[in-house]
Amino acid sequence: MSQLTLSPQEERVINHKVDRKGRERIYKILERNQFTIPHVDVERAKYFTESMRTTEGELLTLRWAKALKNVAEKITVWITPDQLLAGRVGKLGRYGILYPEIDGDFYREVLSDLCNRDKSPFQVDPDDLKVVMEDIAPYWEGKTYHEHLNKTLPIELRNVTYCDERGLKSKFVVSETSSYRSALQWVPDYKKVIERGFIDIQNEARERLAKLDLTNSIDLWEKKPFLDAMIIVCDAIMIWGKRHADLARDLAAKETDAKRKAELLQIAETCDRVPAYPARNFREAMQAQWFTQMFSRIEQKASAIISNGRMDQYLYPYYKKDIEEGTLTREQAKELLECMWVDMAQFIDLYINPTGVEFQEGYAHWEAVTIGGQTPEGEDATNDLSYLFLESKREFPLNYPDLAARIHSRTPERFLYEVALTIKDGSGFPKLINDEEVVFLNALKGCPINEALDYAVSGCTETRHPNRDTYTSGCVYVNFASALEMTMYNGRMLHYGDEKIGLETGDPTSFKTWDEFYAAYKKQHINLLQKAFQQQVVVDKLRPMHFAAPLSSVLHNLCMENLLDLHTEKIPGGVDYSYFEFLGYGTIVDSLAAIKKLVFDEKKLTMKQVIDACKADFKGFEPVREMLRNAPCYGNDDPYVDTIARDVDRICQLEAMKSSEERGIHVDVRYVPITSHVPFGKVISATPNGRHAWTALSDGSSASHGADKNGPTAVLLSNYHTKNYDLINRASRLLNIKLSPKSVAGEAGTKKVMELIRTWCDLKLWHLQFNIVNRDTLVKAQKEPDNYRNLLVRIAGYSAYFCDISRELQNDIIDRTEHDEF
Amino acid sequence: MNDEAMKGIVFNIQKFSVHDGDGIRTLVFLKGCPLRCKWCSNPESQEAKPQHAYNPARCLTAELCGRCLEACKTGALTLVNGMIAFDGRKCENCFACNRACPSGAQQVYGEEMSVKDILDRVERDGVFYNRSSGGMTLSGGEALFQHDFALALLRAAKNRHIGTTIETCGFYKYEFLEEACRNLDRLIIDIKSLNNEKHKAFTGVDNTIILENFKRVVAEFPDLKIQARTPVIPGFNDTEEDIRAIRDFVPQRANVEYELLPFHRMGGPKYGYLCRRYEYADKELDKNLLKRLKAIAADVPAFKPGGTIEA
Repeated sequence: MSQLTLSPQEERVINHKVDRKGRERIYKILERNQFTIPHVDVERAKYFTESMRTTEGELLTLRWAKALKNVAEKITVWITPDQLLAGRVGKLGRYGILYPEIDGDFYREVLSDLCNRDKSPFQVDPDDLKVVMEDIAPYWEGKTYHEHLNKTLPIELRNVTYCDERGLKSKFVVSETSSYRSALQWVPDYKKVIERGFIDIQNEARERLAKLDLTNSIDLWEKKPFLDAMIIVCDAIMIWGKRHADLARDLAAKETDAKRKAELLQIAETCDRVPAYPARNFREAMQAQWFTQMFSRIEQKASAIISNGRMDQYLYPYYKKDIEEGTLTREQAKELLECMWVDMAQFIDLYINPTGVEFQEGYAHWEAVTIGGQTPEGEDATNDLSYLFLESKREFPLNYPDLAARIHSRTPERFLYEVALTIKDGSGFPKLINDEEVVFLNALKGCPINEALDYAVSGCTETRHPNRDTYTSGCVYVNFASALEMTMYNGRMLHYGDEKIGLETGDPTSFKTWDEFYAAYKKQHINLLQKAFQQQVVVDKLRPMHFAAPLSSVLHNLCMENLLDLHTEKIPGGVDYSYFEFLGYGTIVDSLAAIKKLVFDEKKLTMKQVIDACKADFKGFEPVREMLRNAPCYGNDDPYVDTIARDVDRICQLEAMKSSEERGIHVDVRYVPITSHVPFGKVISATPNGRHAWTALSDGSSASHGADKNGPTAVLLSNYHTKNYDLINRASRLLNIKLSPKSVAGEAGTKKVMELIRTWCDLKLWHLQFNIVNRDTLVKAQKEPDNYRNLLVRIAGYSAYFCDISRELQNDIIDRTEHDEF
Repeated sequence: MNDEAMKGIVFNIQKFSVHDGDGIRTLVFLKGCPLRCKWCSNPESQEAKPQHAYNPARCLTAELCGRCLEACKTGALTLVNGMIAFDGRKCENCFACNRACPSGAQQVYGEEMSVKDILDRVERDGVFYNRSSGGMTLSGGEALFQHDFALALLRAAKNRHIGTTIETCGFYKYEFLEEACRNLDRLIIDIKSLNNEKHKAFTGVDNTIILENFKRVVAEFPDLKIQARTPVIPGFNDTEEDIRAIRDFVPQRANVEYELLPFHRMGGPKYGYLCRRYEYADKELDKNLLKRLKAIAADVPAFKPGGTIEA
């Protein structure tokens, strides 16, 4: 065999070719504790609960602000050794924090065994466990969001949502995800904090308060407590910031190393200034951003965490000024950025809910940093910082931050070149988001064009307009592969035996035509969708009763205009999005195409043979399985199957359109499973595309594993031809492409990656990410995890350490078709 | 006959080809070749007609399936010690086994397609060609072995504004090459060896026509991008003398490039499927030697503008 071409990442992991020059500090911090099992820090939950006990009956936003202030005053403050930025909300090492208001009812079952679970385990200190069980959990009993939701869902919705009475176990048919996050990801308006500081922001609230007419009962009972909350939350974050200044000075007094002493004093000076006052330089802007980001995490669990927004835009004026004045070098700026990445990597999004863990494996959290794209005026926005971000990602051994590059039709060739180079590094960064699709769609959905042009990537593949978007509830995940099963088994699924879950659409062996079969499938599909929308309405109603977000609200123009918490169901002037995730796209359309072709068009198989084969998981039906597998598959630019795929997408969009009109918001179909296509597959028996029972479903809008045999261009075209561009009830489609390092080797290879990206942009596809790693490396990493601890792979809108994810998901990634050179 | 209606035998259409011409391309492999190179990596390309092959790796085995054994009436497929055995000499290429096989283990190399069918498929990737100056590359076999068909394909592609390249051995009447070049964006042509005896021994044909065709095409198409290629084959032309001789033979002009293509054995398994023995199964190219040869190939005197062709 010829020798493998290795990606730069593989060179680092396998051949230990690491260049630490200029990154001595970062490696020092990193190596101290990056690969230990993360621990749970209970302080946030403790002080939050302590305050919540004393404020019952008050406006929820005000209670929340008071609780945050209590946390700010009492939580231990930390300055990580060697760090240049201050601010973490847990002990040293990788850590996660608790949000008992969401899922405290799980603690009894989950917490004591957290360190033994096979996916994303955490360590819990026994003393801390005692605090949780005796002090925190009892207060929340009967009060959590999850309990309320479980009680509220009517039986016919519960039956597709949960398996058990208490709603601890997901059914993986129409799964709710709102009970392990208080909202979907969010991007605070960092620019506002950096430019104005919290004193000025607080003054705005004070002025509004002064103007209230307290003889008016709305002003007295709704607006006043809301503004009080805004004022208190500004105090809270400023108190927390100031405590870091004090700590830095204390540490400096004890520090014997002169260099570190000076660094600590500089941290103290910075924390005296921000986030209270406007930042004066790059360092202060970074620190103000970091405080805001970390305090947002104390505020609430916005799933997939707080994103970083358009960092290359809002930091650029400070960077430029410092560089011009000679007070900052490019290397110093890079070091500060990397200091942020290292601390970011240590905060883990802790999922208590066992279903939640399955959804985002590998300690997933993704604080997307957006670079490139366009200005609000529509000019190209690339600047020197955009390049610095890319540079800091290359040769960098961390999966944080999640870098997202915005690409548009006039993206400069140099930017695209450096993006391609970074992708070729092999750790999966950056992911690409397409302005030509996103700006256009969001503008059509009601976002003013200047704000649409100024979007930030948020979470996995989503986008946000920090002063126009409003919170979105954790969305519903619909396992449409179960609709296929229910078509085959008259409303039942093999995994759940005789329980009738869907509609009784009849015995498929009696169907005479493809139209009859497809009509039955469509009924099952629409039935699940309706259940999903009904569930989401309940979720949207309950969310504001349980959650408030004073910090996010004080930073949002519309909240301050209307004096409403960001969790309010509808905020005047806002754009409300609601999503549902499509699970099993490739699996379903390949199965439908196989049935159409072999049973109805060519009559090579009977429906009974197909069903018998699937029931037997193909045992004794191997030839039938081969025939099914060889039918046309999605991902090959084959109109036979892509026509079906387009129609399946269309059903979703048309139903979403109806639901949008009913609810007065925007309901969109998304194809972003994160890692949930693995657990959702576990309830699905063998499918007529030859997929074995209980194995992973296809992921996102990618082809079924190994089914895309015609290279990446065909994958992109299949995606394009199935999107229904005449409808707008659609959002992100996650798309993974795995390339072998050899196929993109050298300058010529870089050019090919650029050409693929340009065409992807022309095709107006939403998202694209690459895994550039040899299959061989992954197989070896599975066998010898200790030698591959730091191998990063692209999973679904984020990268994670290969050895941190479950074996099933590892297999899933290994099985994604690798497109080699031809 | 109208170019688009012409039919020929194709054995593969491969998208996202990135090493055979400019940009992102679709490779169309045409059946038939006048040469019989001992190292050939596409043995399924040599015969002009569609032919049967058996890939045991994709086979479910006789125990689980065995449908091909029932279908085969010529005795080419038999059960030997529980395994399916294929005897190429008895195969009449009736393809009954291929139709019976559910897994694709019994396969057919070659399918009749019209120019229109091919270009409709090639054109589906048009959006990628636009961004990368890519297009269609005809390969084989010998791209021009089915010359009427191949020339129709090139003319029709030009007509549809699809970029065109061929990979050719150069062994045929000059008129074919001339007509092809009128419709090409790039010509990729093999110069395997200047030593005629060796050439005959390893490829089965005389190199005179090839070298003459090459000289003529360089002279008559001064604006066409021409890429001369030498597959570096162990024991055949992997010496410094061989490569230096070819390099000196290739004229130094702005439109002419020269490159080496290292030997690989990726086509090896296909010999087995066709019931043939691969003489190069255990041959390997010395890596250091290749490095030296590449340096020689690249080591040309500074380009002289307006330089003339020296044979």
